[in-house]
Amino acid sequence: MSLFALLADYTLQNVAIGAAILGAVSGVLGSFAVLRQQSLVGDALSHAALPGVCLGFLVAGTRDLGWIMAGALGSGGLAALAILGLTRFSRLKTDAAIGAALSIFFAVGVVLLTVIQRRGGASQAGLETFLFGQAAAILRQDLWIMGAIAAAALGAVALFWKEFKLVTFDPVFARTLGLPVAVLEVALTVMVALAVVVGLQMVGVVLMAAMVIAPAVAARQWTRRLGPMVWLAAAIGIGSGIAGALVSALGPGLATGPLIVLSASAAVAVSILFAPGRGIVWEAVERARERRALRGRQVLATLLRLAREHDDPSYPAEQGMLDLYHGLGTRAALERLEGRGQVARTAHMPGEGRHWRLTPAGREEAERVLAEFGGERG
Amino acid sequence: MAEFTAEAPQGPLHEPGLALHVEDLTVSYHGRPVLWDIDLNVPPGVMAAVVGPNGAGKSTLIKSVLELVPATAGHVYLFGKPYAGVRKRIAYVPQRSSVDWDFPTTALDVVMMGRYGHLGWLRRPGAEERRRAVAALEEVGIADLAGRQISQLSGGQQQRVFLARALVQEADLYFLDEPMAGVDATTERAIVRLLKGLRDRGKTLIVVHHDLQTVREYFDWIVILNVRVIAQGSVAAAYTAENLRRAYGGQISLLRGLDRPGDAPVTGEASGA
Repeated sequence: MSLFALLADYTLQNVAIGAAILGAVSGVLGSFAVLRQQSLVGDALSHAALPGVCLGFLVAGTRDLGWIMAGALGSGGLAALAILGLTRFSRLKTDAAIGAALSIFFAVGVVLLTVIQRRGGASQAGLETFLFGQAAAILRQDLWIMGAIAAAALGAVALFWKEFKLVTFDPVFARTLGLPVAVLEVALTVMVALAVVVGLQMVGVVLMAAMVIAPAVAARQWTRRLGPMVWLAAAIGIGSGIAGALVSALGPGLATGPLIVLSASAAVAVSILFAPGRGIVWEAVERARERRALRGRQVLATLLRLAREHDDPSYPAEQGMLDLYHGLGTRAALERLEGRGQVARTAHMPGEGRHWRLTPAGREEAERVLAEFGGERG
Repeated sequence: MAEFTAEAPQGPLHEPGLALHVEDLTVSYHGRPVLWDIDLNVPPGVMAAVVGPNGAGKSTLIKSVLELVPATAGHVYLFGKPYAGVRKRIAYVPQRSSVDWDFPTTALDVVMMGRYGHLGWLRRPGAEERRRAVAALEEVGIADLAGRQISQLSGGQQQRVFLARALVQEADLYFLDEPMAGVDATTERAIVRLLKGLRDRGKTLIVVHHDLQTVREYFDWIVILNVRVIAQGSVAAAYTAENLRRAYGGQISLLRGLDRPGDAPVTGEASGA
């Protein structure tokens, strides 16, 4: 299929639009969850959607997406309240509360799922697709539901931006200003459940947590302000959604949901490695540069001390002696300094190793270094 | 839109001449009293130190006054009213470690958060809030760091950001929880100068403080705490070796200077429990 034919394909259009909606809403709400150090709440809420999916199906009697979404939101919200309640009113720590809610709700969901399957009936076919998602089953009318939920959630974030930001950064201070912090925190958590509901059909309950966490984690690496981070997380979410949809259309049998999650994970990998300021590779490069600069300064300072001890401003120091003094090869450092005109090779006794002396520029720099870092070695 | 919470109905004023009036306040945590039967009076216009050994309940006192931890019993009045009625006149500087400084935001942004209470729901901070925040950053001496991401500030600079956030609240009563903890000497001097300036403009400051050596130099009012109130009053009257011994017990070794008249400084620092 050519790219044009792909883009004109009705099913693919639906899938791509749905994936984009999902990416936007989970990127934005995931940002707040990640910054509140509640990434795992997303995991618990998505697993907790399963019993709601089954109950919605039982109530409707068919695979009606409206009922299923309502059920998922209900059980997700219940799990959110259970986690908040357990941490506030029991001595359980957050991680234990999250773990308990996740496993109990998911276990109930699996039990309900098997009960429904045992009862049989043609209409129950495909309920297990909510475990891993089945994007191709998405209809145009489903998109309207997903879009409406996303619009409501994103609208709430835009409206209460300042309040959500403060509650995320400093909830204690927020309380002293009179903000209803508990209400706002519940709202943020329940909205994560909304994001999960949007992703039910596309990605499924098992992998949905990744969509909540990944775009936010990736975006965090690139920016130092909340606004840009949230926009970027939305963009990464949309990008991963569309990328996953397109890649899955390239070959038969490629599942869309996992591909979306893999695209988002790729964005995380790139961001964690390469983002300026925070990326691992970036930091390693910085450290190596600093180490080289430090080595150069140390060698300069040593040359200056030797020159002072011998009362000879251009005292020729043998490279082997410098190596011994620093316990490392100093040749690379000396050659870099030579490139900057701070040291020069000098002829000494024939038959001896290479010798180096400070140039006037090098002496100036060395004196500055010694003055700055003191004579802790001298 | 109005502020975040409606003004509480005006009851009769209770001790309106005091900035802070606490009656029979008891706070317990898991059945263990952290604060026991606290009666406290702080007049307006003083700079008061709250001192006491580790676990004495110094931070808890501030947090319970601000209704951040629930009190088991007791009443708190600020300028004669319950806290809900005077929120806008109160500013709070929490311990620096209470937030995640890796949060993606700038120093200026954090300071502007001090205006959120005045803005109320839905209104976004604008040019006016920005102007006030910049002025506050100037006052604490780090206006040049306004655009800096907060994780790239030193501990002392982070403390100054928190102070600036309290300044833009334009309060009459400031609660500060260990503002001098873990900051360098320059920052400590700057903070003290700033706090004294606030006091000289008639503001009241209540400061949890850990360094007994500097009490006489910095403060004019003192509350010595160890679960109960051991002593309170002007530094001249209440800051005695006897009172400190009662609060710190064996934890303090070098109090000799206090016994003599003539206000020799206390030379020891409270050691950790």
